[in-house]
Amino acid sequence: MQKLFFTLVALFLCTGIKAQIWVSKNVTSSFFSSTPVEDIDASSKAGASAINTKTNDIIFKISNSSYQFKKKLMQEHFNENYIESDKYPTSEFKGKIVEQIDFSKPGTYPITVKGNLQIHGVTKEYQAKGSLVITGDEAKATSAFNVKLVDHNIKVPTIVFKQIAETILVKMTAIYQPKK
Amino acid sequence: MKYHLKSLTYLFIIGLPTLAFAQDSLENALKMPIEKKNVRATFKSTKLINIQTNETIYKNEMDFRVDHRFGDIAGSGGGIKNFFGLDQSTDIRIGFDYGISDKLSVGIARAKGAGVVTQLYEGNLKYRLLEQTDDEKIPVAVTLFGSTTIAAVKASTDPTAVNAYSQFQDRLVYVVQGIIARKFNNNFSMLVMPSYIHRNFTVFGDENDLFALSVGGRIKLTKRMAFVADYTIPFRNKDKKAYLESTSGNQFYNTLGAGLEFETGGHIFHLNFTNATAIQESQFITDTNTSWLKGQYRWGFSIARRFSFDKKKAK
Repeated sequence: MQKLFFTLVALFLCTGIKAQIWVSKNVTSSFFSSTPVEDIDASSKAGASAINTKTNDIIFKISNSSYQFKKKLMQEHFNENYIESDKYPTSEFKGKIVEQIDFSKPGTYPITVKGNLQIHGVTKEYQAKGSLVITGDEAKATSAFNVKLVDHNIKVPTIVFKQIAETILVKMTAIYQPKK
Repeated sequence: MKYHLKSLTYLFIIGLPTLAFAQDSLENALKMPIEKKNVRATFKSTKLINIQTNETIYKNEMDFRVDHRFGDIAGSGGGIKNFFGLDQSTDIRIGFDYGISDKLSVGIARAKGAGVVTQLYEGNLKYRLLEQTDDEKIPVAVTLFGSTTIAAVKASTDPTAVNAYSQFQDRLVYVVQGIIARKFNNNFSMLVMPSYIHRNFTVFGDENDLFALSVGGRIKLTKRMAFVADYTIPFRNKDKKAYLESTSGNQFYNTLGAGLEFETGGHIFHLNFTNATAIQESQFITDTNTSWLKGQYRWGFSIARRFSFDKKKAK
C-alpha cells in the first residue's frame, strides 16, 4: 500500500514538473487598415496563448474590447458596429505548429502555423508564417498575416468604404514561458 | 489501512484538477481574468431629441452639431400654406463641443431662440461623474450638465415683456441637469434626468427657479438606425401656471419628441418630430406653448459630425 502511495506521489510530481505546456499571458497584437483616405491602427496587450510542445498544438485567445485605437470614437465603432464585442467577446485561434520544434534547444526557428481562426463568430482556416526564438526558459513567437473582412462577415457600409480597407494586416508577438 | 485510505482519497482530490487539466490542457492554461470594463455607447449622440444624454465627447475630439426645428406641421399655424412647417424655422442651433478629457467636455453654441427671447449664446460643461460597468457593480451612468445662456436680443420697453431687461444679468439663464442613464442591452438604453433652471429675469408672476424631470430612451432598429424619444415635465407652481396662462393666453405643455437616429461612422443624423419650438434647455423646458394635440408639432433634424485632433500613437 505504501509503495502504491509513493508511486502515485511520484507520478503526480512528474506530471507537475514536466513542462509540456508553454504559456504566454501577454500576447501583443495589432492590426492595420490602410487606404488612401485613412490609416487605422489598433493594438492590444491583453491576449493569451499556449503551446503544447509535445503535440505542437497552439491556441490564442484575445479579448476584442482590449484593442486601443488612436481615435476613441473609432474604438467605440469597432466594438459596437464591426467586431460586435458584446456578442463575440474574444477572437480565438486553435491550430498546430507544422514544424517539429525542440523547445529545449535555444535558437531561431522559422515556423508555419495552421489552424482555425474565429473572428466575429466566423471560423476560417488559416496558415501563417512566423518565427520562434528560443532562449533557454523563454520563447518569443512573431507572426503577421492578412485577414479579409468579408471572410468573417464584417460588413463595412458604403459610406465609410473608403476609410476601411478590405484586407487587414494583423501582427502578433507572444513571449512564452514553460508552465510550472 | 485506514490511514492509507484517507491519504489516497486526499491524493485523489489533489490529483483531480491535474487530471482535468490534462484533458483540456491548452484551453485551461488560457483562463483569462475577467476585467472590469465601463459600458460604452449607452447612446450614440450627446443629445436625444430635446434632451441631453449621458454621452460626452472623447478627449481631443470635437463635435460639430446643427439642430433645426421647422414650423407647425398642422393646426392653425401649419398646413399647406406654410408647406407643413417647412417655410418656417422656429429655432436653429449651431454648437461645438470639445473633449478636454474623456470625462469632461466643454461646449459653445449660438441659437436663434424661439419666441421673443432670441440671439442666444450658450456655454456649457458636461462631466461624466459615474460610468456603468460590465460587472453590474455600478448599474447606471451619471453625467452632469450645466449651461449658461445669454440672450443678446434688444431689451423691450414694455415692462410686461419677457425680455424687458433692465440690466445685463437679466439676460442670463442657468441650467443644471443630472443625467442618470442605463444601457440595458445592446439595443435598449434609457435615461432619467432631473433639471434645475434658474432664470434671472422672468415675466411678472413666473418662477425664477424651475425644476423639471425628463425621461428618454433609444431602441436600436438595425445596427445603424435607432428609434429615440424623450419626454419632459416642468414642475411649475399650479397657481402661477394658471395665472400665467390667463394673462398670456398661452398654455404650457410638456414636451415630447420622437424620431429616428442614423449613425454612419463619424456622422449622426436625427430626423424627429417634437412639439417644442425651442432647442435649448433654457427655453424648451420652461416655455413650450405648443401641443401635439393641436397639431403644433414639427419636423426637426440634427446633424453631428465628430472630428479628432489626437495625433499621438495608440497606447
